Amino acid sequence: MNAVREKRSTSRLGRLGWLVAAGIALAPLMALAQTQIYDSKTGKWVNYDKKKARQLYARNKQLPEAFQRQIVPFRTAEAPGTIIIDGNQHFLYLVQPGGQAIRYGIGVGREGFGWAGMVRVGRKAENPTWTPPPEMVARDPHAAKWAAGMPGGRPDNPLGPRAMYLFVGDSDTIYRIHGTIEPWTIGLDVSSGCIRLNNEDVIDLYDRVDVGAKVIVLMQGAALYKGV
Amino acid sequence: MDARGIAFGWLTLAAAGMVAGCQSSPAPQDMARTSLGTAPADLQLMCATAAAVPSGVDSSRILPTSSSQLDATNYRVDLDAAGSKFTCVIDSSGSVKSIGPATAAATPAAPVEAG
Repeated sequence: MNAVREKRSTSRLGRLGWLVAAGIALAPLMALAQTQIYDSKTGKWVNYDKKKARQLYARNKQLPEAFQRQIVPFRTAEAPGTIIIDGNQHFLYLVQPGGQAIRYGIGVGREGFGWAGMVRVGRKAENPTWTPPPEMVARDPHAAKWAAGMPGGRPDNPLGPRAMYLFVGDSDTIYRIHGTIEPWTIGLDVSSGCIRLNNEDVIDLYDRVDVGAKVIVLMQGAALYKGV
Repeated sequence: MDARGIAFGWLTLAAAGMVAGCQSSPAPQDMARTSLGTAPADLQLMCATAAAVPSGVDSSRILPTSSSQLDATNYRVDLDAAGSKFTCVIDSSGSVKSIGPATAAATPAAPVEAG
């Protein structure tokens, strides 16, 4: 598996004609999106950026409450077992019976997905191999060491302990749901386009999700039209 | 003011503080948001389901493409129904207020001619 290299390949995504492509002009506007968390001590909403996230994680050794795994009300006609990814809010929902969902905090792409669509979990892997893209190999000696692929199971494997591969029909897309070695990045726009969960959460999700599960990806940057 | 009056006053203030605290602090599941004010995911999907009838397209082929908060309780959700654009207004309780084909004015992606 060559997850990162595949992420950089946009031609494959272009062939997935059923996806709703975002306008090219949306990407620069993504910078306008800002995650905010509620500070119970001050009673105010505060911007949640990389610096803040690192500070809080170093202090609390856990994510802010909003990004921790939890059961939430979720009104939907989608069947239990369906995954819904909301990149704007940095949440992944796993639909449960009784109008509920398990909500996980996620980290998503720096530039947004650029698409929305319905895909499925086509494959799952424990301890997935990570293969750095050529450009990373060229500039990073550590990555170069793993040009042929870093075995899964290592504590420094960026994909973490589990990966779920998103497919359209029988075709692998460029996107995956996987773990991370940077747990403080949950709630931020940081990845190369994949969906990352902290490792405990990705193991929990992996165990609950079957191959073939429906995955609905909502458009990231979805409120860019506001006020126009 | 006697002792009972003072005690009552403090209890009243404490109770008011507790109520105010309850009103100002969101529930744990609501303690994160985006500054963009997008609609919650379940409301977006409810709009997609509701668009099946007016669009004549199966709801599994209808996707939310953008959303925004209109006011304290209402959201607008733009939808793509197999290529046709629809706009839905839904409130935070999940009640669909309106749904129909997107008008030119409501389709901001359309090019605007200067002058």
